[in-house]
Amino acid sequence: MPSQPPPLPQWVLDLNSTPSPKPKPTAIPDPPGFTAALSAKQRSQSSKNAPQAAARKPPTSEEMDTLKLKKAWELAIAPAKQLPMNAIGMYMTGSTLQIFSIFMVFTLFKTPITAILSLQRTFAPFTTPGTSTRLLPAKLVFVVMNLLMLGLGLWKVNQMGLLPTTRSDWLAWESERTWAERAVPKDWL
Amino acid sequence: MHLHAIISSAACCIAGALAIFADEAYHIDYHRALVGFPTQDATFFHQPYAGSKASLVYTLSNKLILAAVNPKDGATVWRQALSHPPNITEGFLRAGEEQDTVVSAVGGEVTAWSTSDGRFVWKTKFPDTIVKDVEILELEGGRTSREAKDAIILLSGGEHVIKRLDGKTGAVKWTYEDISGDSPFQVSTSATGIHYISLHSTMLGGVKIKVTSLDLVTGQKLDQYTLSSDNEVISPECVLFAGANSASPLLAWTDKAHTVLKVNIIGTKSVSTFNAPRKGAEEVQKIVLHAPRRINSVSHFLVHYQTASTHSAEVYHVDLKKSVISKAYSLPELTGNGAFTTSTTDANVYFTRITAEEMIVVSSASHGILGRWPFKTSISKDQTFPVHGVSEVVVRSDSAQAVRSAVLFSDGQWVLVRNGELVWTRPELLAGALTAVWADLPEQEALAQELAIEGHENILSAYVHRVKRHIRDLEHLPAWLENLPIRILANFGGKTPSTSTTEIQQDSFGFHKLVIIATEANRLVALDAGSAGRLIWNIDLPKLAPGFTFENPTLSASHGYVEVRDSGLESPLLINTTTGGLVSLQDTTTTQNNLQEGQMLVSFDLIDGELKGFLDKKASSPIWSFLPPNGERIVGITARPIEDRVASIGKVLGDRRVLYKYLNPNLVLVTTVLDATRIASVYLLDSASGNLLHAATHSNVDITRQIPSALSENWFSYSFTLDSTTELSSRGYQLVVTELYESAVPNDRGPLGAAANYSSVQPSSALGDAAKPFVISQTYHTAEEISHMTVTQTRQGITSRELLVALPETNSIVGIPRYVIDPRRPIGRDPTALEVGEGLTKYTPVLQFDPKWYLTHKMEVFGVKKIITSPALLESTSLVFAYGLDVFGTRVTPSFAFDVLGKGFNKLQMLATVAALGVSVLFVAPLVRRKQINSLWQIP
Repeated sequence: MPSQPPPLPQWVLDLNSTPSPKPKPTAIPDPPGFTAALSAKQRSQSSKNAPQAAARKPPTSEEMDTLKLKKAWELAIAPAKQLPMNAIGMYMTGSTLQIFSIFMVFTLFKTPITAILSLQRTFAPFTTPGTSTRLLPAKLVFVVMNLLMLGLGLWKVNQMGLLPTTRSDWLAWESERTWAERAVPKDWL
Repeated sequence: MHLHAIISSAACCIAGALAIFADEAYHIDYHRALVGFPTQDATFFHQPYAGSKASLVYTLSNKLILAAVNPKDGATVWRQALSHPPNITEGFLRAGEEQDTVVSAVGGEVTAWSTSDGRFVWKTKFPDTIVKDVEILELEGGRTSREAKDAIILLSGGEHVIKRLDGKTGAVKWTYEDISGDSPFQVSTSATGIHYISLHSTMLGGVKIKVTSLDLVTGQKLDQYTLSSDNEVISPECVLFAGANSASPLLAWTDKAHTVLKVNIIGTKSVSTFNAPRKGAEEVQKIVLHAPRRINSVSHFLVHYQTASTHSAEVYHVDLKKSVISKAYSLPELTGNGAFTTSTTDANVYFTRITAEEMIVVSSASHGILGRWPFKTSISKDQTFPVHGVSEVVVRSDSAQAVRSAVLFSDGQWVLVRNGELVWTRPELLAGALTAVWADLPEQEALAQELAIEGHENILSAYVHRVKRHIRDLEHLPAWLENLPIRILANFGGKTPSTSTTEIQQDSFGFHKLVIIATEANRLVALDAGSAGRLIWNIDLPKLAPGFTFENPTLSASHGYVEVRDSGLESPLLINTTTGGLVSLQDTTTTQNNLQEGQMLVSFDLIDGELKGFLDKKASSPIWSFLPPNGERIVGITARPIEDRVASIGKVLGDRRVLYKYLNPNLVLVTTVLDATRIASVYLLDSASGNLLHAATHSNVDITRQIPSALSENWFSYSFTLDSTTELSSRGYQLVVTELYESAVPNDRGPLGAAANYSSVQPSSALGDAAKPFVISQTYHTAEEISHMTVTQTRQGITSRELLVALPETNSIVGIPRYVIDPRRPIGRDPTALEVGEGLTKYTPVLQFDPKWYLTHKMEVFGVKKIITSPALLESTSLVFAYGLDVFGTRVTPSFAFDVLGKGFNKLQMLATVAALGVSVLFVAPLVRRKQINSLWQIP
């Protein structure tokens, strides 16, 4: 005789029989501001009740393009937002050669250059046949913004005196004049 | 800008801490405290205080340096340079028995010095007179006094006077004036009184010796007699000996041909006559009489006869009671020159005979040899011989136990020989150094030549040449490998490998350079600057050029040999730098001038107070001449050194702009004085064209003092003394530093622009006429007079320079860093941030010599005449050598020794660290491997 399975534990029963979402109507009203979660049925009813909220149809490709373009522009402007912070940071670190300022300058050079190099990849999600031409200004702005960042790095490097921009940096390549005569005291001959 | 600022400020910090490290002192530098040649009459052994066991050698040298030398090691215990008028060359030094002072007399000054430490005791000055003799009064009324013994001095001036000076204070006790007009010769003291010996010239040309006896206490004249010596004596040189404090003072003279010897016991009128020994045809050239100086010693004396090739001696005894002088015995004739010394023990007198091979001690009483010591090491080389000396003899039971003699040899070495063994050598000939020059070791020069060949060939053939050279170098490999363990051990022991005495060690740092010195005694000496100034060779110049005396030799070093020139010498002597042998002209490679291709050679010379430039070596008509205006007299000419490497042609300013240096190889600085108005001027000339580039005039200058100057790179400096008699507010010594730039405007190359070539003789019209530099100058007051200055030199000129100045008042040499005397220091304001970046500080009129700048630290370098510098192979290091009286050498690193490990570097620690790391890797490796394998097996 098959043995009788043990009775199901209470927690299984609880799990299988969830309390009804709709609480029993009580006299106690809901607190102000509380909206009870609606069941799927209720939701469909409410949507039917609202005439302005018609069933959302999928966006057209033009709309998608516009959206993508908008997103692309946001991406293009993003480096500019970091610019003031970076500038303040660069200014605060001063022009001495320290490990921190060297690291900061290094990232200041690395980030824009890698960003420009991975330009196509960055904008790939937004590239569709419709947006490819309209994306160009955004890309351009992105490049310009990164160049600005690079410019900040260059300014910083110049502040640190690492750019060979002055006469003294090229002094080693200048040569002494050759003199057509050489005069020595007679004793030295 | 900031990078430069950092670097230059870092350089300043380094330079600020620049000094000689305690562990380098006496290792990198060497100093010979010389005195000059000791004189025969003023050199003696003497106890520094009564009852002292040890004695010192006291000497007054021909350079008038009074010194006490320790006979044990030859170290100078103390020295005093006696001040003297320039024309005085003679001095006297006497010490009383058991006295703790020595009395010196030079010129018109009699000074007493403490024997143990050389401190000044008293001084008495007699202006306008010259001391002719000094004697110490040993006996006072027949007994020796315990007090400080008085001195008797003979002064020659307007009238000749004898004075007795108090031994404690130097005060004059009495004065005796000689109004006869005879020329004073000497004073002599004896138990009975003082004898004043003067020379009375007769009508016939002979000289009569007049002896005047004076009372000891009052100085009154007691007696006077004249010896008829006019047949023999015709000049004071013929009088051989007088007195010298013996119990029986003697007076000995000879004739001009040295054939007869006449001796008189002072106080008696009898004269004994002896004939000089005559063997063979050789004439006696020199007679020297040696008598004991001690008052209680027996009256024996030795007469030394020197001929051209042999020497002999005779010993005489004086019978005081009978006043008879008799010959006791004679010492055999020996070839070569010899020297005799006298020493006394109690009343006994011993004579030490020193020849080039041995030393022999005999007693004055009999001719038996008490001791004979052949020289163990050959002390004298190349036929040098002893000139004179002093000895101390220890005699027990009629045999000499020990003898030590301080002997001056003819090669200028002062040597102490103890029982035939060489104890020490002092190269006193270096005290008379006239000129010196640096010479590279020949191997170094050979390498430089090979490299030059490689530099001028095309790449392929240069490469083949180099490979061949390296294969040839392999022959040194076995020797190198053999020496390797020794060198490594020496490195860890912190010691430099010892060098043998003959070999000149080649080193990779270029510290081993030779200094070739020409001395007053016409000798040429080579020192190794790398091994504490060791003497390599010492040759006699007149032997190489017979019959020629060198007056003002000039030296110049070339590849492997040194050229010696003199105004009277037809062709220069060429001398091998390593061996000191004569080199013939055929063996040498053609001399290379430092001329570049297409350069025109102009030579200039000072002729009759006028500086003239010649296009040709042979004196044709000058292409330019410079005569200072207003009748000024040229006192000094300084030209830029032939090798003056400049690393950077401009000076980088704080804002990274460039001030271009005016780099003209033909610069020459002429210093002149105008005696009448006490004006000193400097003129900077372009010596190719004779153009005047810059002139400066200073008034109220003490023109009797020196005006040293130095010229290097694009700057020059000079120093002078302001006249102390003027009413100026500023007095003392001034140092002027001047820099030359192509233009006052940064980043501008001046009127010549970027032109790569320039001829100052034929300037192109497009460039305007002669381009004059922009000059900035600053003056500093120094606390001491500067007697000589020069500039350090390094291989590439990258290292900053130091101005080396000799300070005669403190007997020291100071290296002033160049940045301290930068004429661009801001005046009257603090430097701006940019100027701070350049390392400029605010101008201060007084230049304090930082104690850290003193290259001589504890040493006292006397009488520096000149300092010469030379680059080492290391860029950081410049070799310095100073000569004059003392010899001093060191190495300076003006920008710190940046290219060599310091002595503080712990090689053992470094090795231990490496070994510990290696061991730890061995232990950690299995752990890491296990960890890596485990990580592969784990689920990520």
